[in-house]
Amino acid sequence: MQVIIQSALLQGLVYAFMVLGVFITFRVLDFPDLTVDGSLPLGAAVTAALIAGGHSPLTATAAGVLAGLGAGVVTGFLHLLLKSGDSDATNYGPKLLAGILTMTALYTVNLRIMGRSNTPLLGVQVIFDKIGALLSISMVAWNLIIGLAVLAVAVKYLLDWLLHTEFGLCLQATGDNESMIRAMGTNTNITRIVGLGIANALVALSGSLVAQQQGFADVGMGIGTIVAGLAGVIMGEVLFGVRSISWVLFSVIGGSIVYRLLIAVSLRLGIAPTDLKLLTAALVVIALSVPTVRKKVMHS
Amino acid sequence: MNHAPEPLEISGMRKVFFPGTPNEVVALDGIDLSVPAGQFVSIIGSNGSGKSTLLNGVAGTFPLSSGKVLLGGRDVTRQPEYVRSRSVGRVFQDPRAGTAPDMTIEENLAISLLRAKRSGLRMGVTNKRRAVMREQLTRLGMGLEDRLKSGVSKLSGGQRQAMSLLMATIAEPSLLLLDEHTAALDPKVAATIMELTGEIVAERHLTTLMVTHNMELALRFGDRLIMMHAGRIVLDLSSEQKATLKVSDLIEKFHEVAGEAFAVDRLLLDA
Repeated sequence: MQVIIQSALLQGLVYAFMVLGVFITFRVLDFPDLTVDGSLPLGAAVTAALIAGGHSPLTATAAGVLAGLGAGVVTGFLHLLLKSGDSDATNYGPKLLAGILTMTALYTVNLRIMGRSNTPLLGVQVIFDKIGALLSISMVAWNLIIGLAVLAVAVKYLLDWLLHTEFGLCLQATGDNESMIRAMGTNTNITRIVGLGIANALVALSGSLVAQQQGFADVGMGIGTIVAGLAGVIMGEVLFGVRSISWVLFSVIGGSIVYRLLIAVSLRLGIAPTDLKLLTAALVVIALSVPTVRKKVMHS
Repeated sequence: MNHAPEPLEISGMRKVFFPGTPNEVVALDGIDLSVPAGQFVSIIGSNGSGKSTLLNGVAGTFPLSSGKVLLGGRDVTRQPEYVRSRSVGRVFQDPRAGTAPDMTIEENLAISLLRAKRSGLRMGVTNKRRAVMREQLTRLGMGLEDRLKSGVSKLSGGQRQAMSLLMATIAEPSLLLLDEHTAALDPKVAATIMELTGEIVAERHLTTLMVTHNMELALRFGDRLIMMHAGRIVLDLSSEQKATLKVSDLIEKFHEVAGEAFAVDRLLLDA
């Protein structure tokens, strides 16, 4: 049991940044962003290629995060090209297509960056070793989990601060009532692009950390990221509540951990790893449809 | 930091929707209108007369087919909507249009206080801004000053419209555009919002265009009354001229000028 909990905490925390990124696009910006399936492996690929090329893991991780930021900005610009005017805030077609295009393009980019489909990171110093060395501790097992938890909480507070700055309020309003915030003199094209950049930077951070934690980057590791991210967001909201932005940022980190715990338990129960995507999709469907079904049952 | 009220000058404003198609509609057919700084203009007209299109044209919601808009002497015709919005406050018919529902009252008001300013990485809601918000909310008489951290989605339609009005005027815009902003409210609430509008406009001498379906409102409020028909201004009455008019006179005037039966029952019913 302890092994399961430990692995769920570890997985939940490395993927928590991705879930925070999905929360920002999906909930704050009202932009269902599929870029994440490409920006997660992008973060991993950039980091792995740089570490394999002899660069410091800190530099490599930072570069991965910046690459993710760039991917989000590209999606933002594609959305500008695809949408037909300023008045179609609830038109999700261009938003979905912009993300799909970036995600598809990133598959090639990721292969080009690594030069092959898989880059191993075994026997090299990764960010956890580096930080462990700086602190003179060994970053494994619980030390690693605590280290990641500290980083997750730090990122949570950073986002919390950002979302409550003047710019952050405009960012929130862009997703909540775009025509209103435009009528207040804000260029929502810019707030949206910056928001997408920040979200995908977080997703790429997860990709980078996952690669360093599991010891390889793989071009296929991003498949299903958006659904896993949604699962984390929804579980967090349902289980831990949404009373304020500050609170819900914690909720979705919790959701990420609970989701990975469910996965770990499923694997222990003998479900094949290849069946997990179907299971995750089913989970999201159930979580999303509960309110609708409940309403229908109540009214019948 | 705040804009002073400014004169508005509209010349030859034309807007054709779907030009060159079978659905072509001439919504505005050459509007010339000169509004001195601080004047409150009521605009009436039947459905499809172009009165809302006129406001949208002034706000920059769409590019004009031809014509010019000058605000405070500056040509703003080609300015994108969000740039023009820095000096133009707007309130719409739908009380949900003017506020962000999932954000708190204080966050919404903070956004409106930031109008015309570059929003940076300073905190959005500060104690200094809260003091301004409380003072402004108190005048609404709705007790909202004690609910700064409530979500706006929990407010009633009237409360949300009062918030919208406050948000549109709090940063003292050069121009205020009201697009049937009391039409979706029940009569008692509508009257409250209208009184509030009159007070705020008078106190800040805001240059104001108010579109309404309600002839009585148009006669009671404003220093000038304009009637539109088929994309043109067909009647333009000064404060003195409209002081002597009743709703029935106005309907008669309309028949005279437009030369056809008044299309909208709602006008009569509302009156």
